[in-house]
Amino acid sequence: MEITQTLHGNLLILNLQGRVDAHTAKDFEAGLLPPIDRGQQQILVDCSRLDYISSAGLRVLLLAARKISAAGGKLALCSMKPSIKTVFDIAGFSSIFSIFAAPPEAITELTK
Amino acid sequence: MLTKILVVDDEPDLEIMISQKFRKQVRDQEMVFTFAKSGVEALQKLQEQRDTHVVLTDINMPEMDGLTLLAKVSEQFPLVKSVIVSAYGDMSNIRTALNRGAFDFVTKPIDFTDLETTLKKTIHEAHVFQRAAQEHDQLVAIQQELEVARQIQKSIVPRKFPPFPERQDFELYAEMIPARNVGGDFYDFFLIDDARLGFVIADVSGKGVPAALFMAVSKTLLKATALKGLPPDECLKEINRILFMESVSAMFVTVFYGILHTRTGAVDYCNGGHNPPYILRAGGRIETMGTTGGLVLAAMKNTAYKAQQINLHAGDGIFLYTDGVTEAMNRNNDQFSESRLEENLTHATGASLPEVVRQVMDAVNKFTNGAAQADDITILALRYLAK
Repeated sequence: MEITQTLHGNLLILNLQGRVDAHTAKDFEAGLLPPIDRGQQQILVDCSRLDYISSAGLRVLLLAARKISAAGGKLALCSMKPSIKTVFDIAGFSSIFSIFAAPPEAITELTK
Repeated sequence: MLTKILVVDDEPDLEIMISQKFRKQVRDQEMVFTFAKSGVEALQKLQEQRDTHVVLTDINMPEMDGLTLLAKVSEQFPLVKSVIVSAYGDMSNIRTALNRGAFDFVTKPIDFTDLETTLKKTIHEAHVFQRAAQEHDQLVAIQQELEVARQIQKSIVPRKFPPFPERQDFELYAEMIPARNVGGDFYDFFLIDDARLGFVIADVSGKGVPAALFMAVSKTLLKATALKGLPPDECLKEINRILFMESVSAMFVTVFYGILHTRTGAVDYCNGGHNPPYILRAGGRIETMGTTGGLVLAAMKNTAYKAQQINLHAGDGIFLYTDGVTEAMNRNNDQFSESRLEENLTHATGASLPEVVRQVMDAVNKFTNGAAQADDITILALRYLAK
């Protein structure tokens, strides 16, 4: 799994590539949590190049969502492949995360 | 990194030289020297300072000589590296010292540059050695922890089949193949009363002992709550509330809980984020047990769940599984997938429950073809036989 970070004003965009499973969830956690701990308030997780996410990956997202909302910030996801969206739907995560079809809508929502 | 060195010599020469020449390293806290006047005193100091890295010792000393000390150090303090100080050309003692585990030697009169080089090399070796030993200990600890987790998981699920031999109105069968280092699946079934059978399949996110304990808590809590006879949605809502308080680092659990009304064949169920099970109709048709987007348990403090109902007729069954089945991967990272599972279930019409489960397990095995199993693989199947 690879994570590319880009800053878009105050918004941090994390682009996930590859697979987030039990083995790579640690890397995902290492990429996602430290910015929140440093005070990052808006984060967009771009899933366009994400091929697979297991429950270990969902746990990291849940942890991040709890932290950022406790700090008054926002986290959103965008550009999921259908197989990824299915994982979110089954786990019920689609109802607790903001998920957008493409980055522009997500950016508008996160930066408003 | 700070290095602790024990210098053993009955004469003051070495101590004086070291105190002068390594003044800078001591001041910069790179090295700490301790001094002993005999082998006996040296062993005592090593006992007191278990984090010593290197022993530098002379050979001829009263009480216990350097060669005897060497043998004892290798035996009692295997992580400590020793350097021997011998007379120039004393090959016989040098040979003996090396045989007894000395890492290197310097000769008298001591050339400071040579001593410095030798110590540097020995220190490096000692650090590598100690780090490897620490990593080994950690690995052993992790393995023990995983073994504990495995035992918890293994002992927690019912393994006696048929579980209710006196009941002719339904059948149950389950199998679980735990992954080597990830665990968290469980299943359960229990009679709420004479006319209601509760059945559960679940998957805890996480691994090791924390996940295993969370699994144990989830299973116990679920059964205790279910036995009160609560409808599935209320049951999940109740245990979610409690599990949320128990969850550390956002650990959660997917739970499917169903109640089979054995007199009518009706099934009330509620799905908290788990893979939707299949209904295996007696005629061979397969249906998915629709999900209502129920959230995994322990994720949010207050979560509402919706119950649903289906009807089973004599010969109809339910096939429950965890994502270890559909997400089992071959070496190309292709997943076994729902479509392969459905195909296998279609061909399983008419088979006994153990046969159905075995066929799917075999198909998964054949598909992964020896690729490492990344997650627990769990299947629970039931069939309604009516009376």
